Amino acid sequence: MHTTEFAIEIENLEKCYVKDVKVLDDVSFTVKKGEIVGYLGPNGSGKTTTIKILTNLLSPTSGHAYINGIDVNKNPKEALKPVGALIEVPGIYDYLTPHDVLRYHGKVHGMEKDKIDARIEEVLKTVRLSDWEHKKLGAFSTGMQRRLAVATTILHEPEILILDEPAIGLDPKGMKEIRDMLKQLQREGTTIFLSSHLLNEVSDTCDKVIFLDQTKVIAYDTVENIKNMVSVKRIEAKFLDQLSTDDLDRIGAIASVNEVEVANGRIHIGFDGKPETSHQILAKLISSGFRVSSYAPETVSLEDFYVSIMSDERGVN
Amino acid sequence: MTSLKNDMRTDISHLFLNIRFELKKHLNRKRIVLVVALAIALPILFYAIPPLLGGDYADTANAFASTNLGFITLLIVISGALFAGDAVSGEFEKKTGLTLFSTPQRRTSINVGKFAAALLATWFVISVYYLVTMLEIAQIFGFGAISVEFGMSFMLALIYAASVVAVIFFFSTIMKGTITSTLIGFFLLMLILPIIAGVLQFADVEPWFLVTYSSDVMTNVLGTSTGGFGSSGPAQRIGGGFSPDFYVGVGVMLAYAISLFLIGIGLANRRKME
Repeated sequence: MHTTEFAIEIENLEKCYVKDVKVLDDVSFTVKKGEIVGYLGPNGSGKTTTIKILTNLLSPTSGHAYINGIDVNKNPKEALKPVGALIEVPGIYDYLTPHDVLRYHGKVHGMEKDKIDARIEEVLKTVRLSDWEHKKLGAFSTGMQRRLAVATTILHEPEILILDEPAIGLDPKGMKEIRDMLKQLQREGTTIFLSSHLLNEVSDTCDKVIFLDQTKVIAYDTVENIKNMVSVKRIEAKFLDQLSTDDLDRIGAIASVNEVEVANGRIHIGFDGKPETSHQILAKLISSGFRVSSYAPETVSLEDFYVSIMSDERGVN
Repeated sequence: MTSLKNDMRTDISHLFLNIRFELKKHLNRKRIVLVVALAIALPILFYAIPPLLGGDYADTANAFASTNLGFITLLIVISGALFAGDAVSGEFEKKTGLTLFSTPQRRTSINVGKFAAALLATWFVISVYYLVTMLEIAQIFGFGAISVEFGMSFMLALIYAASVVAVIFFFSTIMKGTITSTLIGFFLLMLILPIIAGVLQFADVEPWFLVTYSSDVMTNVLGTSTGGFGSSGPAQRIGGGFSPDFYVGVGVMLAYAISLFLIGIGLANRRKME
């Protein structure tokens, strides 16, 4: 047994599919109980490999993955008891029904017979598949299959949810439902570890974010702290008067302004990101007779951080 | 101690759950219906065709049974291929294993469950074939004509089925595609091993170690050849060829069944979802 303070603990994880070619390189992080943590990274960064090791679908080359302090790869039967996992896009048994599949999973998790049937009704209602309980899965659309996979994952009311791209194949309504469901589950105390390439989804849903790139963890912090790490290099300004091309040229000529762009009736001013420079630009605008009605740094998204950090990592200016 | 007991109890309950789940899959896929239909149709043909063509049945019940069971080997291999061919490879090829293998149960419970379900389904098909044959014997020769040897043949068919399922299950654990694993197992048992056996016999070498050769004991035990049950020594020559010794044949079939089952389970347990 390892420390049980954390729901998930990844310790110096390393994975090579081919000798000396690392897919994960010394990856370590922890997820506290009750947290909802996003796991982000470009394709091939090792997200799914981490999740597969965490659910015993793969063995690590070295290092450990613990769930509630139990080494998943040494004692998967015990470690995976409190887990509901949705990994990649799992296949379906065309010739079975949602009832057959959910009943099997309920029994694997040791649920009582009476409870399984009641819970099947409940989860199928949650994922809008109640009318399809006894229909063969072969007739299901991709979105319906995905919703059934989600139902399977939450059937036994797991303490820990491990989700790999849960929104794949879902329509906007389905995506919103998943987001709402995750928030509801977190309120009920479920720990959620979520890999996704949809940064807005992660930003809306998660407390913390782990960025993985080129096999390594490059950042792990709260969403707010991550956003603060990005230096804002653009200001959005509004003016009382309509600006002419000459006006835009005058703004562009201000020292420290390196870019002026008009979009949706707003002026976007590029600069070096330093607060002093921002102040100087504002002072110059006012002293030049521009009637400024609003002046604010542009909102930072996880996407900005993602782009900035990935560019830095690759030495891209 | 209590924890170990509970652990074993859940393992056993998972094993039975997996057997039931796999059997349900076989039933829903209708494959079992197809082979059961064959198991009924084949002996009925042997029963119906002789009178239709003006011929007679064999003189004795055992001789009738021996003729009737001419297709039992084929039926066992077809059943084994259909039920065990994609048992493990299917979970990887169709990615259903992503959900199945991340559940809190031992891989052994899943894989042994798959093997057992394939074996039970194959045994059921064989039982139907023998039951229909038995009813035909009773109708033609009377119930009293159903011999101990017929019962022995049935038991040997069950043992051969275990070795066939083990061979095909083994390929299912090492192959990536379901079609490949099914076809390799099928052609190995229906074509490759019989050809090797034929070549060896032609070279005057008894292929006692080949399971397909050993399967002849299923019909030999009915007394239609001079070899088989009760014979001693490694081999009995019949008309210039070889015939498997009863005990050696049973031993070889059991050896294939047990060794390939254990190797297959070991490989399936170690296989990862890459």
